[in-house]
Amino acid sequence: MRRTAPETELPQLSLLRLRNVSKRFGAVQALSSVSLDLRAGEVLGLMGDNGAGKSTIVKILAGNLPPDGGEVLVDGESAAFHGPSDARARGIEVVYQDLALCDNLTAAENVFIGREIMRRVGTVPVAINFRAMIDRTKELFAELESDTSAELQVGRMSGGQRQAVAIARTRLNDSRVVLMDEPTAAISVRQVEQVLRLIGRLREQGVAVLLISHRMPDVFSVADRIAVLRRGQKVADKPMKDTSPEEVTGLITGAIERS
Amino acid sequence: MPPVGTEDPPVPAKHWWEGHLNEIGLLAALVILLAVFAQTAPNFLTDRNLINILRAASYVGIVAFPMTFVIIAREIDISVGPAVAFYGVLFAQLVGAHGVPVAVSIPVVVLAGGLVGAAAGALRVAYAVPTFIATLALWSALRGGALWWTDALPVLIPSKPFRAAFGGDLLGIPVVTWVMAAVFVTFGYLARFSRYGRHVYALGGNPAAVEALGVNTALLRIAVMASTGALAAFTGILVDARLGSGNANAASGLEFDVIAAVIVGGTLLSGGTGRMTGTLLGVLVIAVLANGLVLLGVDPDVQKVVRGLIILVAVLANFAIARRRRRDLLE
Repeated sequence: MRRTAPETELPQLSLLRLRNVSKRFGAVQALSSVSLDLRAGEVLGLMGDNGAGKSTIVKILAGNLPPDGGEVLVDGESAAFHGPSDARARGIEVVYQDLALCDNLTAAENVFIGREIMRRVGTVPVAINFRAMIDRTKELFAELESDTSAELQVGRMSGGQRQAVAIARTRLNDSRVVLMDEPTAAISVRQVEQVLRLIGRLREQGVAVLLISHRMPDVFSVADRIAVLRRGQKVADKPMKDTSPEEVTGLITGAIERS
Repeated sequence: MPPVGTEDPPVPAKHWWEGHLNEIGLLAALVILLAVFAQTAPNFLTDRNLINILRAASYVGIVAFPMTFVIIAREIDISVGPAVAFYGVLFAQLVGAHGVPVAVSIPVVVLAGGLVGAAAGALRVAYAVPTFIATLALWSALRGGALWWTDALPVLIPSKPFRAAFGGDLLGIPVVTWVMAAVFVTFGYLARFSRYGRHVYALGGNPAAVEALGVNTALLRIAVMASTGALAAFTGILVDARLGSGNANAASGLEFDVIAAVIVGGTLLSGGTGRMTGTLLGVLVIAVLANGLVLLGVDPDVQKVVRGLIILVAVLANFAIARRRRRDLLE
Protein backbone atom coordinates (compact mmCIF):
# COMPACT_ATOMS: atom_id res chain seq x y z
CA MET A 1 0.00 0.00 0.00
CA ARG A 2 1.14 3.46 -0.90
CA ARG A 3 1.84 5.49 2.17
CA THR A 4 2.27 8.95 0.74
CA ALA A 5 0.04 10.78 -1.67
CA PRO A 6 1.45 12.06 -4.96
CA GLU A 7 2.73 15.57 -4.60
CA THR A 8 1.09 16.95 -7.70
CA GLU A 9 -2.60 17.34 -7.07
CA LEU A 10 -4.69 14.85 -9.01
CA PRO A 11 -8.30 16.07 -8.97
CA GLN A 12 -9.76 12.64 -9.78
CA LEU A 13 -8.36 11.29 -6.53
CA SER A 14 -10.07 13.91 -4.42
CA LEU A 15 -13.08 12.26 -2.82
CA LEU A 16 -14.11 15.20 -0.76
CA ARG A 17 -13.07 18.78 -1.22
CA LEU A 18 -13.73 22.06 0.53
CA ARG A 19 -13.39 25.01 -1.85
CA ASN A 20 -12.97 28.48 -0.34
CA VAL A 21 -15.29 27.68 2.57
CA SER A 22 -16.09 30.44 5.05
CA LYS A 23 -18.14 30.36 8.23
CA ARG A 24 -18.96 33.13 10.65
CA PHE A 25 -20.53 32.87 14.12
CA GLY A 26 -21.67 36.37 15.09
CA ALA A 27 -18.56 38.47 15.31
CA VAL A 28 -16.22 35.47 15.05
CA GLN A 29 -14.90 34.49 11.63
CA ALA A 30 -14.50 30.75 12.31
CA LEU A 31 -13.26 29.90 8.80
CA SER A 32 -12.06 32.25 6.08
CA SER A 33 -11.86 30.81 2.59
CA VAL A 34 -10.41 27.41 3.53
CA SER A 35 -9.79 24.79 0.85
CA LEU A 36 -9.02 21.19 1.70
CA ASP A 37 -8.71 17.93 -0.23
CA LEU A 38 -9.35 14.46 1.12
CA ARG A 39 -7.96 11.69 -1.11
CA ALA A 40 -8.56 7.96 -1.23
CA GLY A 41 -6.13 5.95 0.88
CA GLU A 42 -4.67 9.02 2.48
CA VAL A 43 -4.72 10.19 6.08
CA LEU A 44 -4.86 13.96 6.35
CA GLY A 45 -3.89 15.30 9.76
CA LEU A 46 -5.67 18.53 10.61
CA MET A 47 -4.01 20.49 13.38
CA GLY A 48 -4.59 23.82 15.04
CA ASP A 49 -5.04 25.43 18.41
CA ASN A 50 -8.38 25.56 20.19
CA GLY A 51 -10.71 27.81 18.23
CA ALA A 52 -8.68 27.53 15.02
CA GLY A 53 -11.69 26.12 13.17
CA LYS A 54 -11.05 22.34 13.21
CA SER A 55 -14.42 21.38 14.65
CA THR A 56 -16.21 23.77 12.31
CA ILE A 57 -14.66 21.95 9.35
CA VAL A 58 -15.82 18.59 10.68
CA LYS A 59 -19.33 19.92 11.23
CA ILE A 60 -19.51 21.30 7.69
CA LEU A 61 -18.16 18.09 6.14
CA ALA A 62 -20.52 15.96 8.25
CA GLY A 63 -23.56 17.99 7.23
CA ASN A 64 -24.19 19.41 10.71
CA LEU A 65 -23.51 22.99 9.62
CA PRO A 66 -23.97 24.75 6.28
CA PRO A 67 -21.04 26.93 5.10
CA ASP A 68 -21.68 30.67 4.65
CA GLY A 69 -19.55 30.82 1.54
CA GLY A 70 -17.65 28.44 -0.71
CA GLU A 71 -18.70 24.88 -1.41
CA VAL A 72 -18.29 21.24 -0.53
CA LEU A 73 -17.54 18.93 -3.44
CA VAL A 74 -18.02 15.16 -3.42
CA ASP A 75 -16.32 13.42 -6.35
CA GLY A 76 -15.87 16.85 -7.91
CA GLU A 77 -19.58 17.67 -7.78
CA SER A 78 -20.99 20.41 -5.61
CA ALA A 79 -22.96 18.92 -2.71
CA ALA A 80 -25.30 20.66 -0.29
CA PHE A 81 -25.83 18.68 2.93
CA HIS A 82 -29.01 19.37 4.86
CA GLY A 83 -28.14 17.05 7.71
CA PRO A 84 -25.83 14.25 8.81
CA SER A 85 -27.83 11.69 6.86
CA ASP A 86 -27.13 13.55 3.58
CA ALA A 87 -23.42 13.35 4.23
CA ARG A 88 -23.74 9.71 5.20
CA ALA A 89 -25.62 8.98 1.99
CA ARG A 90 -22.58 10.28 0.10
CA GLY A 91 -20.25 7.93 2.00
CA ILE A 92 -18.99 10.38 4.62
CA GLU A 93 -18.85 9.05 8.18
CA VAL A 94 -17.82 10.67 11.45
CA VAL A 95 -16.23 9.24 14.57
CA TYR A 96 -17.19 11.72 17.25
CA GLN A 97 -14.85 12.62 20.05
CA ASP A 98 -17.13 10.98 22.61
CA LEU A 99 -17.65 8.08 20.15
CA ALA A 100 -21.46 8.42 20.28
CA LEU A 101 -21.94 4.99 21.85
CA CYS A 102 -24.85 3.73 23.95
CA ASP A 103 -23.41 1.87 26.94
CA ASN A 104 -26.65 -0.03 27.44
CA LEU A 105 -26.53 -1.66 24.00
CA THR A 106 -24.29 -4.34 22.49
CA ALA A 107 -21.56 -3.61 19.98
CA ALA A 108 -23.71 -4.88 17.11
CA GLU A 109 -26.68 -2.76 18.20
CA ASN A 110 -24.44 0.30 18.45
CA VAL A 111 -22.93 -0.26 15.02
CA PHE A 112 -26.42 -0.41 13.50
CA ILE A 113 -28.21 2.43 15.36
CA GLY A 114 -30.48 4.06 12.79
CA ARG A 115 -29.59 1.43 10.14
CA GLU A 116 -30.90 -1.76 11.73
CA ILE A 117 -31.24 -4.81 9.51
CA MET A 118 -34.84 -6.00 9.43
CA ARG A 119 -36.26 -9.45 8.81
CA ARG A 120 -38.92 -9.01 6.18
CA VAL A 121 -42.02 -10.84 5.09
CA GLY A 122 -42.31 -9.79 1.48
CA THR A 123 -41.32 -6.16 1.71
CA VAL A 124 -42.79 -5.56 5.17
CA PRO A 125 -40.17 -5.29 7.93
CA VAL A 126 -41.32 -7.47 10.82
CA ALA A 127 -38.45 -7.80 13.24
CA ILE A 128 -34.88 -6.76 13.87
CA ASN A 129 -32.50 -9.34 12.47
CA PHE A 130 -30.06 -9.59 15.36
CA ARG A 131 -28.26 -12.57 13.80
CA ALA A 132 -27.47 -10.66 10.61
CA MET A 133 -26.38 -7.57 12.58
CA ILE A 134 -24.07 -9.64 14.79
CA ASP A 135 -22.60 -11.49 11.80
CA ARG A 136 -21.94 -8.27 9.90
CA THR A 137 -20.39 -6.66 12.98
CA LYS A 138 -18.09 -9.66 13.38
CA GLU A 139 -17.00 -9.23 9.76
CA LEU A 140 -16.29 -5.54 10.36
CA PHE A 141 -14.22 -6.32 13.46
CA ALA A 142 -12.36 -8.97 11.46
CA GLU A 143 -11.59 -6.45 8.72
CA LEU A 144 -10.24 -4.11 11.38
CA GLU A 145 -8.38 -7.06 12.94
CA SER A 146 -9.95 -6.25 16.27
CA ASP A 147 -10.99 -9.01 18.67
CA THR A 148 -13.87 -6.98 20.07
CA SER A 149 -17.00 -9.06 20.73
CA ALA A 150 -20.06 -8.15 18.69
CA GLU A 151 -22.49 -9.33 21.36
CA LEU A 152 -20.96 -7.63 24.38
CA GLN A 153 -22.55 -4.56 25.98
CA VAL A 154 -20.47 -1.52 25.13
CA GLY A 155 -20.63 -0.39 28.77
CA ARG A 156 -18.54 -3.46 29.66
CA MET A 157 -15.80 -2.67 27.14
CA SER A 158 -12.35 -1.13 27.45
CA GLY A 159 -11.50 2.17 25.78
CA GLY A 160 -9.77 0.47 22.84
CA GLN A 161 -12.71 -1.84 22.20
CA ARG A 162 -15.09 1.12 22.30
CA GLN A 163 -12.98 2.87 19.67
CA ALA A 164 -13.20 -0.25 17.52
CA VAL A 165 -17.01 -0.19 17.78
CA ALA A 166 -17.16 3.48 16.76
CA ILE A 167 -14.82 2.87 13.83
CA ALA A 168 -16.60 -0.32 12.74
CA ARG A 169 -19.76 1.76 12.51
CA THR A 170 -18.15 3.96 9.85
CA ARG A 171 -17.37 0.88 7.73
CA LEU A 172 -20.95 -0.31 7.59
CA ASN A 173 -21.81 1.16 4.22
CA ASP A 174 -18.31 0.96 2.74
CA SER A 175 -17.89 4.64 3.44
CA ARG A 176 -15.11 6.34 1.52
CA VAL A 177 -14.42 9.22 3.87
CA VAL A 178 -14.03 8.98 7.64
CA LEU A 179 -13.74 12.11 9.77
CA MET A 180 -12.20 11.53 13.19
CA ASP A 181 -12.53 14.28 15.78
CA GLU A 182 -9.82 13.95 18.44
CA PRO A 183 -9.99 10.15 18.58
CA THR A 184 -6.99 9.92 20.89
CA ALA A 185 -7.77 12.81 23.23
CA ALA A 186 -9.32 10.91 26.10
CA ILE A 187 -7.72 7.47 26.12
CA SER A 188 -4.66 5.79 27.57
CA VAL A 189 -1.35 5.56 25.75
CA ARG A 190 -1.81 1.85 25.05
CA GLN A 191 -5.24 2.50 23.57
CA VAL A 192 -3.82 5.27 21.39
CA GLU A 193 -1.65 2.60 19.76
CA GLN A 194 -4.76 0.58 18.96
CA VAL A 195 -6.58 3.54 17.47
CA LEU A 196 -3.62 4.50 15.28
CA ARG A 197 -3.53 0.91 14.03
CA LEU A 198 -7.25 1.10 13.24
CA ILE A 199 -6.66 4.29 11.27
CA GLY A 200 -3.91 2.50 9.35
CA ARG A 201 -6.38 -0.23 8.41
CA LEU A 202 -8.85 2.34 7.12
CA ARG A 203 -6.12 3.74 4.87
CA GLU A 204 -5.23 0.26 3.58
CA GLN A 205 -8.85 -0.15 2.56
CA GLY A 206 -8.68 3.01 0.45
CA VAL A 207 -10.61 5.23 2.84
CA ALA A 208 -9.86 8.94 2.96
CA VAL A 209 -9.30 9.80 6.64
CA LEU A 210 -9.40 13.25 8.18
CA LEU A 211 -7.67 13.03 11.54
CA ILE A 212 -8.27 15.98 13.78
CA SER A 213 -5.94 16.05 16.71
CA HIS A 214 -3.73 18.28 18.71
CA ARG A 215 -1.47 15.42 19.70
CA MET A 216 1.60 15.93 17.56
CA PRO A 217 3.05 12.38 17.90
CA ASP A 218 -0.20 10.78 16.76
CA VAL A 219 -0.43 12.91 13.64
CA PHE A 220 3.22 12.35 12.79
CA SER A 221 2.99 8.59 13.23
CA VAL A 222 -0.10 8.00 11.08
CA ALA A 223 -0.81 10.94 8.74
CA ASP A 224 0.40 11.19 5.14
CA ARG A 225 -0.27 14.88 4.81
CA ILE A 226 -0.85 17.68 7.26
CA ALA A 227 -2.92 20.83 7.14
CA VAL A 228 -2.63 23.49 9.82
CA LEU A 229 -5.33 25.99 10.71
CA ARG A 230 -4.77 29.21 12.57
CA ARG A 231 -7.61 31.60 13.36
CA GLY A 232 -9.82 30.17 10.65
CA GLN A 233 -7.18 30.24 7.92
CA LYS A 234 -5.21 27.40 6.43
CA VAL A 235 -1.54 28.24 6.96
CA ALA A 236 0.01 25.00 5.71
CA ASP A 237 -0.90 21.92 3.64
CA LYS A 238 1.99 19.64 2.78
CA PRO A 239 3.21 16.04 2.83
CA MET A 240 4.28 14.83 6.24
CA LYS A 241 7.80 14.10 5.09
CA ASP A 242 8.35 17.75 4.17
CA THR A 243 7.71 19.08 7.62
CA SER A 244 8.76 18.62 11.22
CA PRO A 245 7.12 18.85 14.62
CA GLU A 246 9.02 22.09 15.20
CA GLU A 247 7.65 23.65 12.04
CA VAL A 248 4.10 22.50 12.80
CA THR A 249 4.29 23.89 16.33
CA GLY A 250 5.44 27.19 14.90
CA LEU A 251 2.57 27.18 12.41
CA ILE A 252 0.01 26.42 15.09
CA THR A 253 1.19 29.12 17.46
CA GLY A 254 1.87 31.70 14.77
CA ALA A 255 5.63 31.82 15.28
CA ILE A 256 5.85 30.77 11.63
CA GLU A 257 3.44 32.80 9.55
CA ARG A 258 2.79 30.43 6.66
CA SER A 259 4.39 27.48 4.90
CA MET B 1 0.90 -7.22 14.28
CA PRO B 2 -1.31 -8.46 17.12
CA PRO B 3 -5.05 -8.01 16.76
CA VAL B 4 -6.34 -4.74 18.11
CA GLY B 5 -7.83 -5.11 21.55
CA THR B 6 -5.86 -8.23 22.52
CA GLU B 7 -4.30 -6.59 25.53
CA ASP B 8 -7.68 -5.62 26.90
CA PRO B 9 -8.82 -7.45 30.03
CA PRO B 10 -10.97 -10.53 29.39
CA VAL B 11 -14.68 -10.04 29.70
CA PRO B 12 -16.14 -11.65 32.83
CA ALA B 13 -18.22 -14.72 32.04
CA LYS B 14 -21.91 -13.94 32.02
CA HIS B 15 -24.54 -16.46 33.03
CA TRP B 16 -27.98 -16.32 31.47
CA TRP B 17 -29.61 -15.47 34.77
CA GLU B 18 -27.35 -12.53 35.52
CA GLY B 19 -29.27 -10.29 33.17
CA HIS B 20 -32.56 -11.44 34.71
CA LEU B 21 -31.84 -11.10 38.44
CA ASN B 22 -34.62 -8.59 38.76
CA GLU B 23 -37.30 -10.76 37.16
CA ILE B 24 -36.20 -13.79 39.18
CA GLY B 25 -36.41 -11.75 42.36
CA LEU B 26 -39.86 -10.47 41.47
CA LEU B 27 -41.11 -13.94 40.62
CA ALA B 28 -39.87 -15.15 44.00
CA ALA B 29 -41.52 -12.18 45.71
CA LEU B 30 -44.77 -12.93 43.91
CA VAL B 31 -44.74 -16.60 44.95
CA ILE B 32 -43.96 -15.67 48.55
CA LEU B 33 -46.73 -13.04 48.63
CA LEU B 34 -49.23 -15.52 47.19
CA ALA B 35 -48.21 -18.19 49.71
CA VAL B 36 -48.35 -15.84 52.69
CA PHE B 37 -51.71 -14.33 51.75
CA ALA B 38 -53.12 -17.77 50.93
CA GLN B 39 -52.34 -18.79 54.50
CA THR B 40 -53.32 -15.61 56.29
CA ALA B 41 -55.89 -13.64 54.30
CA PRO B 42 -59.47 -14.94 54.30
CA ASN B 43 -60.92 -15.71 50.86
CA PHE B 44 -57.63 -14.78 49.17
CA LEU B 45 -57.25 -17.95 47.15
CA THR B 46 -60.74 -18.00 45.64
CA ASP B 47 -61.44 -17.77 41.90
CA ARG B 48 -63.43 -14.64 42.46
CA ASN B 49 -60.66 -12.89 44.34
CA LEU B 50 -57.94 -13.95 41.91
CA ILE B 51 -60.05 -12.53 39.08
CA ASN B 52 -60.40 -9.32 41.09
CA ILE B 53 -56.63 -9.11 41.41
CA LEU B 54 -56.22 -9.65 37.68
CA ARG B 55 -58.77 -6.97 36.89
CA ALA B 56 -57.20 -4.42 39.22
CA ALA B 57 -53.76 -5.25 37.82
CA SER B 58 -55.01 -4.80 34.27
CA TYR B 59 -56.08 -1.17 34.67
CA VAL B 60 -52.55 -0.44 35.91
CA GLY B 61 -50.82 -2.64 33.35
CA ILE B 62 -52.35 -1.13 30.23
CA VAL B 63 -50.64 2.19 31.05
CA ALA B 64 -47.56 0.65 32.69
CA PHE B 65 -46.23 -0.86 29.43
CA PRO B 66 -46.14 2.39 27.47
CA MET B 67 -44.87 4.06 30.68
CA THR B 68 -41.93 1.64 30.63
CA PHE B 69 -40.89 3.06 27.25
CA VAL B 70 -41.37 6.61 28.54
CA ILE B 71 -39.04 5.96 31.48
CA ILE B 72 -36.50 4.04 29.37
CA ALA B 73 -36.37 7.12 27.11
CA ARG B 74 -35.54 9.24 30.20
CA GLU B 75 -38.96 10.92 30.26
CA ILE B 76 -41.88 10.60 32.69
CA ASP B 77 -45.65 10.97 32.52
CA ILE B 78 -47.21 11.62 35.92
CA SER B 79 -50.56 12.72 34.46
CA VAL B 80 -51.95 9.23 33.74
CA GLY B 81 -54.32 9.02 36.74
CA PRO B 82 -56.15 12.29 36.02
CA ALA B 83 -55.93 11.43 32.30
CA VAL B 84 -57.91 8.22 32.89
CA ALA B 85 -60.57 10.23 34.73
CA PHE B 86 -60.69 13.07 32.21
CA TYR B 87 -60.93 10.90 29.11
CA GLY B 88 -63.45 8.70 30.89
CA VAL B 89 -65.57 11.81 31.42
CA LEU B 90 -64.99 12.96 27.84
CA PHE B 91 -66.14 9.56 26.56
CA ALA B 92 -69.20 9.56 28.82
CA GLN B 93 -70.11 13.08 27.69
CA LEU B 94 -69.82 12.08 24.06
CA VAL B 95 -71.78 8.84 24.37
CA GLY B 96 -74.11 9.62 27.28
CA ALA B 97 -74.85 13.33 26.97
CA HIS B 98 -74.42 13.89 23.23
CA GLY B 99 -75.39 10.52 21.80
CA VAL B 100 -72.26 10.06 19.71
CA PRO B 101 -71.94 6.39 18.70
CA VAL B 102 -69.52 4.30 20.76
CA ALA B 103 -67.65 3.22 17.64
CA VAL B 104 -66.93 6.88 16.85
CA SER B 105 -66.29 8.00 20.42
CA ILE B 106 -63.61 5.40 21.16
CA PRO B 107 -61.18 6.47 18.41
CA VAL B 108 -61.93 10.14 19.07
CA VAL B 109 -61.13 9.85 22.79
CA VAL B 110 -58.03 7.70 22.26
CA LEU B 111 -56.80 10.15 19.63
CA ALA B 112 -57.42 13.09 21.97
CA GLY B 113 -55.37 11.37 24.70
CA GLY B 114 -52.60 10.65 22.22
CA LEU B 115 -52.53 14.24 20.96
CA VAL B 116 -52.35 15.75 24.44
CA GLY B 117 -49.53 13.34 25.32
CA ALA B 118 -47.81 14.24 22.05
CA ALA B 119 -48.13 17.92 22.99
CA ALA B 120 -46.24 17.26 26.24
CA GLY B 121 -43.58 15.52 24.14
CA ALA B 122 -43.51 18.43 21.69
CA LEU B 123 -42.93 20.91 24.55
CA ARG B 124 -40.02 18.76 25.63
CA VAL B 125 -38.61 18.72 22.12
CA ALA B 126 -39.18 22.35 21.18
CA TYR B 127 -38.54 24.19 24.45
CA ALA B 128 -36.75 21.60 26.59
CA VAL B 129 -39.64 21.69 29.08
CA PRO B 130 -39.06 18.58 31.22
CA THR B 131 -41.90 16.10 30.75
CA PHE B 132 -42.19 15.98 34.53
CA ILE B 133 -43.24 19.65 34.49
CA ALA B 134 -45.52 19.39 31.45
CA THR B 135 -47.31 16.35 32.86
CA LEU B 136 -47.48 17.91 36.33
CA ALA B 137 -49.43 20.72 34.71
CA LEU B 138 -51.60 18.15 32.94
CA TRP B 139 -52.03 16.24 36.19
CA SER B 140 -53.66 19.28 37.73
CA ALA B 141 -55.50 20.53 34.64
CA LEU B 142 -57.03 17.18 33.61
CA ARG B 143 -58.38 16.37 37.08
CA GLY B 144 -59.59 19.93 37.57
CA GLY B 145 -61.12 20.02 34.11
CA ALA B 146 -62.99 16.76 34.67
CA LEU B 147 -64.36 17.91 38.04
CA TRP B 148 -65.38 21.32 36.72
CA TRP B 149 -67.06 19.84 33.66
CA THR B 150 -69.14 17.34 35.67
CA ASP B 151 -69.57 19.11 39.03
CA ALA B 152 -67.96 15.93 40.36
CA LEU B 153 -71.10 13.99 39.42
CA PRO B 154 -71.06 10.72 37.43
CA VAL B 155 -71.96 11.07 33.74
CA LEU B 156 -74.14 8.05 32.97
CA ILE B 157 -73.59 5.84 29.93
CA PRO B 158 -76.86 4.14 28.96
CA SER B 159 -75.42 1.72 26.35
CA LYS B 160 -75.73 -1.81 27.81
CA PRO B 161 -73.91 -3.55 24.92
CA PHE B 162 -70.93 -1.25 25.46
CA ARG B 163 -70.79 -2.04 29.16
CA ALA B 164 -71.07 -5.75 28.49
CA ALA B 165 -68.44 -5.70 25.76
CA PHE B 166 -65.79 -3.69 27.62
CA GLY B 167 -66.68 -4.09 31.28
CA GLY B 168 -67.52 -7.78 31.40
CA ASP B 169 -65.71 -11.09 30.98
CA LEU B 170 -64.62 -13.11 27.98
CA LEU B 171 -64.01 -16.84 28.49
CA GLY B 172 -64.07 -16.27 32.24
CA ILE B 173 -61.35 -13.61 32.11
CA PRO B 174 -62.12 -9.87 32.41
CA VAL B 175 -62.07 -8.09 29.05
CA VAL B 176 -59.71 -5.53 30.54
CA THR B 177 -57.24 -8.33 31.24
CA TRP B 178 -57.40 -9.44 27.60
CA VAL B 179 -56.68 -5.85 26.66
CA MET B 180 -53.72 -5.72 29.01
CA ALA B 181 -52.41 -8.98 27.55
CA ALA B 182 -52.65 -7.50 24.05
CA VAL B 183 -50.85 -4.32 25.17
CA PHE B 184 -48.17 -6.43 26.87
CA VAL B 185 -47.58 -8.52 23.75
CA THR B 186 -47.51 -5.40 21.55
CA PHE B 187 -45.06 -3.49 23.71
CA GLY B 188 -43.01 -6.61 24.37
CA TYR B 189 -42.67 -7.04 20.61
CA LEU B 190 -41.85 -3.35 20.11
CA ALA B 191 -39.23 -3.42 22.86
CA ARG B 192 -37.54 -6.54 21.62
CA PHE B 193 -37.94 -6.66 17.86
CA SER B 194 -38.78 -3.25 16.44
CA ARG B 195 -36.57 -0.43 15.25
CA TYR B 196 -38.69 1.93 17.35
CA GLY B 197 -37.90 -0.07 20.47
CA ARG B 198 -34.16 -0.19 19.71
CA HIS B 199 -34.19 3.57 19.29
CA VAL B 200 -36.05 4.12 22.57
CA TYR B 201 -33.37 2.10 24.40
CA ALA B 202 -30.62 3.94 22.51
CA LEU B 203 -32.20 7.28 23.38
CA GLY B 204 -32.13 6.31 27.06
CA GLY B 205 -28.51 5.23 26.73
CA ASN B 206 -27.07 8.28 24.96
CA PRO B 207 -29.47 10.87 23.52
CA ALA B 208 -26.74 12.97 21.91
CA ALA B 209 -25.35 9.92 20.10
CA VAL B 210 -28.73 8.88 18.75
CA GLU B 211 -29.27 12.41 17.48
CA ALA B 212 -25.83 12.54 15.85
CA LEU B 213 -26.49 9.22 14.09
CA GLY B 214 -29.46 10.72 12.29
CA VAL B 215 -32.32 9.12 14.25
CA ASN B 216 -35.31 11.44 14.60
CA THR B 217 -35.23 11.88 18.38
CA ALA B 218 -37.98 14.52 18.33
CA LEU B 219 -40.40 12.03 16.81
CA LEU B 220 -39.30 9.33 19.28
CA ARG B 221 -39.93 11.55 22.31
CA ILE B 222 -43.29 12.68 21.00
CA ALA B 223 -44.27 9.07 20.22
CA VAL B 224 -43.48 7.69 23.68
CA MET B 225 -45.44 10.50 25.33
CA ALA B 226 -48.35 10.03 22.92
CA SER B 227 -48.47 6.31 23.76
CA THR B 228 -49.09 6.83 27.50
CA GLY B 229 -51.67 9.52 26.68
CA ALA B 230 -53.54 7.31 24.23
CA LEU B 231 -53.55 4.23 26.46
CA ALA B 232 -54.56 6.26 29.54
CA ALA B 233 -57.50 7.52 27.47
CA PHE B 234 -58.40 3.96 26.47
CA THR B 235 -58.16 2.91 30.13
CA GLY B 236 -60.62 5.72 30.90
CA ILE B 237 -63.08 4.13 28.48
CA LEU B 238 -62.59 0.70 30.10
CA VAL B 239 -63.17 2.20 33.57
CA ASP B 240 -66.38 3.81 32.24
CA ALA B 241 -67.55 0.42 30.99
CA ARG B 242 -66.99 -1.10 34.41
CA LEU B 243 -68.70 1.70 36.34
CA GLY B 244 -71.41 2.50 33.80
CA SER B 245 -70.48 6.16 33.96
CA GLY B 246 -67.69 8.66 33.57
CA ASN B 247 -66.30 9.85 36.91
CA ALA B 248 -64.05 12.83 37.50
CA ASN B 249 -62.74 11.20 40.68
CA ALA B 250 -61.85 7.87 39.04
CA ALA B 251 -58.34 6.42 38.99
CA SER B 252 -57.16 8.52 41.92
CA GLY B 253 -53.47 7.75 42.49
CA LEU B 254 -53.22 5.49 39.43
CA GLU B 255 -50.09 7.35 38.29
CA PHE B 256 -48.44 6.27 41.52
CA ASP B 257 -49.28 2.58 40.99
CA VAL B 258 -48.20 2.68 37.34
CA ILE B 259 -44.83 4.32 37.96
CA ALA B 260 -44.27 2.14 41.04
CA ALA B 261 -44.97 -1.00 38.98
CA VAL B 262 -42.48 0.08 36.31
CA ILE B 263 -39.78 0.90 38.86
CA VAL B 264 -40.42 -2.24 40.91
CA GLY B 265 -40.23 -4.09 37.60
CA GLY B 266 -36.59 -3.11 37.25
CA THR B 267 -36.73 -0.11 34.93
CA LEU B 268 -34.21 2.50 36.03
CA LEU B 269 -35.39 6.11 36.26
CA SER B 270 -32.04 7.10 34.78
CA GLY B 271 -33.17 5.54 31.50
CA GLY B 272 -31.86 3.01 29.01
CA THR B 273 -32.74 -0.09 31.05
CA GLY B 274 -36.00 -1.93 31.53
CA ARG B 275 -38.10 -4.80 30.25
CA MET B 276 -41.80 -5.37 29.68
CA THR B 277 -41.69 -8.73 31.53
CA GLY B 278 -40.29 -6.90 34.56
CA THR B 279 -43.10 -4.38 34.37
CA LEU B 280 -45.69 -7.18 34.10
CA LEU B 281 -44.29 -8.78 37.27
CA GLY B 282 -44.16 -5.37 38.97
CA VAL B 283 -47.83 -4.80 38.14
CA LEU B 284 -48.79 -8.22 39.53
CA VAL B 285 -46.73 -7.81 42.73
CA ILE B 286 -48.33 -4.46 43.47
CA ALA B 287 -51.85 -5.73 42.71
CA VAL B 288 -51.43 -8.86 44.88
CA LEU B 289 -50.00 -6.80 47.71
CA ALA B 290 -52.82 -4.26 47.60
CA ASN B 291 -55.47 -6.97 47.48
CA GLY B 292 -53.93 -9.05 50.28
CA LEU B 293 -53.59 -6.08 52.60
CA VAL B 294 -57.25 -5.23 52.06
CA LEU B 295 -58.37 -8.79 52.82
CA LEU B 296 -56.20 -8.83 55.93
CA GLY B 297 -58.14 -5.79 57.10
CA VAL B 298 -55.05 -3.62 57.32
CA ASP B 299 -55.89 0.02 57.88
CA PRO B 300 -55.96 1.84 54.50
CA ASP B 301 -53.46 4.42 55.70
CA VAL B 302 -51.09 1.69 56.84
CA GLN B 303 -51.52 0.01 53.42
CA LYS B 304 -50.09 3.11 51.82
CA VAL B 305 -47.12 3.04 54.17
CA VAL B 306 -46.50 -0.63 53.38
CA ARG B 307 -46.66 0.00 49.63
CA GLY B 308 -44.23 2.89 50.01
CA LEU B 309 -41.80 0.66 51.86
CA ILE B 310 -42.09 -2.09 49.25
CA ILE B 311 -41.22 0.37 46.51
CA LEU B 312 -38.26 1.61 48.49
CA VAL B 313 -36.99 -1.95 48.94
CA ALA B 314 -37.44 -2.69 45.23
CA VAL B 315 -35.58 0.43 44.19
CA LEU B 316 -32.72 -0.37 46.58
CA ALA B 317 -32.56 -3.88 45.14
CA ASN B 318 -32.37 -2.42 41.63
CA PHE B 319 -29.53 -0.15 42.68
CA ALA B 320 -27.71 -3.12 44.13
CA ILE B 321 -28.10 -5.00 40.84
CA ALA B 322 -26.97 -1.99 38.83
CA ARG B 323 -23.94 -1.53 41.06
CA ARG B 324 -23.07 -5.20 40.71
CA ARG B 325 -23.05 -4.74 36.93
CA ARG B 326 -20.81 -1.68 37.22
CA ARG B 327 -18.45 -3.58 39.49
CA ASP B 328 -18.21 -6.42 36.96
CA LEU B 329 -17.35 -3.81 34.43
CA LEU B 330 -14.52 -2.29 36.41
CA GLU B 331 -12.86 -5.57 37.32
